[in-house]
Amino acid sequence: MKKLILKSLLYFFLILVILEVLVRVFHLGKDTPTRFLDDRQVEKWVPNQNGFNVTGNRRQNFSEFHINSSGFNSYREFTPTKNNIEVALIGDSFIEGFHQNYYNSIGKKAENALPGIEIYEYGYAGYDFADQLHLVHSYKKQFDLIDHLILGIKFSNDLTRGEYKVAKGRLALESPIHRLLKKSKLIVYCKSIGLLEPPQELMYRLINILKPKREVLPINDEEALRIRKENEKAYLANFKSLVAKYGYDKERYTLLLDSKITSPIFLSYLEKNDFNYIDFSQSFENTNRSTTLIYDRHWNNHGRELIAKLISKYIQKKDLKTK
Amino acid sequence: MLFNSLDFFIFLPIVFITYWFIFYKKNQVQNLFILSASYIFYGLWDWRFLFLILASTVVDFFVGQAIHSSDSDRKRKLWLWISVIFNIGLLGFFKYYNFFVDSWADLLSIFGYELKSTWTLQIILPVGISFYTFQTMSYSLDIYYKRLTPTKDFISFATFVSFFPQLVAGPIERASNLLSQITSKRVFNYTQCTDGLKLILWGLFKKVVIADSIAPIVDDIFANYGEYPASTLILGVSLFSFQVYGDFSGYSDIAIGTAKLFGIELMSNFKFPTFSRNVAEYWQRWHVSLSTWFRHYVYIPLGGNRVGKLKSIRNIIIIFLVSGFWHGANWTFIVWGAIHAALYIPVFLMGRNRIYMNNVVAENRWFPSIIEISQILLTFFLVTFSRIFFRSESITDAFGFLKQIYHNFTFESYSHPLGYRMIDYFILLALFVLYEFKIRRDERSPFKFKSKIVRFIIYTLVVLGMLLFYDDQIDRSFIYFQF
Repeated sequence: MKKLILKSLLYFFLILVILEVLVRVFHLGKDTPTRFLDDRQVEKWVPNQNGFNVTGNRRQNFSEFHINSSGFNSYREFTPTKNNIEVALIGDSFIEGFHQNYYNSIGKKAENALPGIEIYEYGYAGYDFADQLHLVHSYKKQFDLIDHLILGIKFSNDLTRGEYKVAKGRLALESPIHRLLKKSKLIVYCKSIGLLEPPQELMYRLINILKPKREVLPINDEEALRIRKENEKAYLANFKSLVAKYGYDKERYTLLLDSKITSPIFLSYLEKNDFNYIDFSQSFENTNRSTTLIYDRHWNNHGRELIAKLISKYIQKKDLKTK
Repeated sequence: MLFNSLDFFIFLPIVFITYWFIFYKKNQVQNLFILSASYIFYGLWDWRFLFLILASTVVDFFVGQAIHSSDSDRKRKLWLWISVIFNIGLLGFFKYYNFFVDSWADLLSIFGYELKSTWTLQIILPVGISFYTFQTMSYSLDIYYKRLTPTKDFISFATFVSFFPQLVAGPIERASNLLSQITSKRVFNYTQCTDGLKLILWGLFKKVVIADSIAPIVDDIFANYGEYPASTLILGVSLFSFQVYGDFSGYSDIAIGTAKLFGIELMSNFKFPTFSRNVAEYWQRWHVSLSTWFRHYVYIPLGGNRVGKLKSIRNIIIIFLVSGFWHGANWTFIVWGAIHAALYIPVFLMGRNRIYMNNVVAENRWFPSIIEISQILLTFFLVTFSRIFFRSESITDAFGFLKQIYHNFTFESYSHPLGYRMIDYFILLALFVLYEFKIRRDERSPFKFKSKIVRFIIYTLVVLGMLLFYDDQIDRSFIYFQF
């Protein structure tokens, strides 16, 4: 019996070691860059990191990222000057673009279509509108040199708070235990394919086993509509609060949104109050090709091309002049 | 609790270690512990249906003794009928009640009588009912045929009925094999345990990598058969052949392997049916515990093949129809059984139904001959064709599927419903078939290689395969649970 247990453990350990090697050799697991909170309380990636992002069990999507010296994934450094024309794209993981090669990003595509204009991509997974305005506000001097800012916004996700606060949940991913676990590519790989979800769920079940179960009452259509309306009002109030707190230059700032999934109340508010926005819903609807990746909902190359086209057209129309 | 769930991978080591470290001293204690573990295993799915297992256990335990102690044939037969009626009654109510009501209503509607309110009920099919009722019935039948002496130990008998590795989807054991092992004290055997672990690993591979990874493709093709050309439909039903094999034989391997960990040898259920050279050989290799059950308890009592050609054919038709009906309360399964009867009868009439009983394809050779390859491909084609009925939701769907193949006989490349690379699956299946061919001589030793290094490499590749094809989004339950 002892022999069986010891030998099984030995085999188990050896298989894990070999799998760790195989995952590294075939690069099945993604590289996870390190994040940090800078002295201005802005969360970003530790500058100058390189690596590969992998999606799917069998490396179905494989892309290279490069964190520049400003702490964002980009093919270029951000050095705005008065003499050049620069455009900043600010947003979440869709702008960050880990799921694409950094040299084939939305910014790069737009830049190719806009000779003489530099595009800076300030994308960071999880950034909402509060994060975006806080970033611009914190690096005011730098952003004042940038000629135009485009801020990606998803109404239902990005306006849930009216004031910026550090997202401790994300930074907890840099705790010593997380950093230690990240050293094993096998663990990172298993996590990315969902293999670690059942143990996590089990832990959750065990923790909650003694807690009384909260009864979840079904919500009827009327109630759901009322909740939605309330949320929409709250999100609009958050937008107003953020704009008032961190400032918003209506001439220089433009929102990037999908009007199909944006509340009409919010859209009419934007129109009434002269907030400019680029709406990509029509472009996405008019194409008969998929605009998202297979493994997640991020834009694929075609989707990124459509976005880049819209941005470049918009910028051309703006006819930006140097400061 | 599914064999491929985390719950089972926590449950199994706990039960295994407790069994061999604490409850190993006496046979009765071993059995009481296994019985408790089995009831927990089943109760975690739905504790209410434990009463059904208990009822089936109690009835057959006492019926077995009554048959044995009865002095007249009439009484023996009466007790046997009590067992059969009770077990078939359980099955009939939980599995077939709605089918009979619906079929009756359909029949009446043919004659112009429309049943206003059908008497169908919302019945949940208790997992494993088709398996344990057949197992308990086999006990009473064996006693009736004087092949077995009943046990007086109720705990042992209850353990035989509810032994958790094979409780929910077989193999359907005979008391002569399983009960005799349960009534003897098990002693820890290192080799048996390692063999068990290897079978569990191989069974998991077949389930997680082969069956589960193919499932979304098969589901998509069968759900939208009207939109696809013949090439895709043929691909879909061919992949279903691999899916159902990987799913059920994977389950059986895990069951046999788990039983080995507790010192119990279950019968083999699958003997590489993919390499069958005719339909008769296929039935000697596919779901062996069920086909032998029908052979022993239906075919032979009806006279088997000793009653003349016509009656033998009748018997063949009966067992295939009953076997089809056992799978589910749907006409599709009955047609599936009828197709197999139609495929088996010519082989039987040509006297070729037993020629491959004791050998495997390419026996003592590395490669099969061209004739053998042709035979295997033809058998695979015929069996796969029958699976259109096995997999379709209804007879209308099955014929619709066939019609679509006929009317849209074109080739188009198929894209995975989730956008994955199809080539991955073709490579996977090709490697799987080649590997199964390599190990085809012994279904109970999937890693029989002399070199430890080769074995270790294969273990690692098997685990790597599970990682490469693991999908947390799909339904991981076993196909045969619905039966």
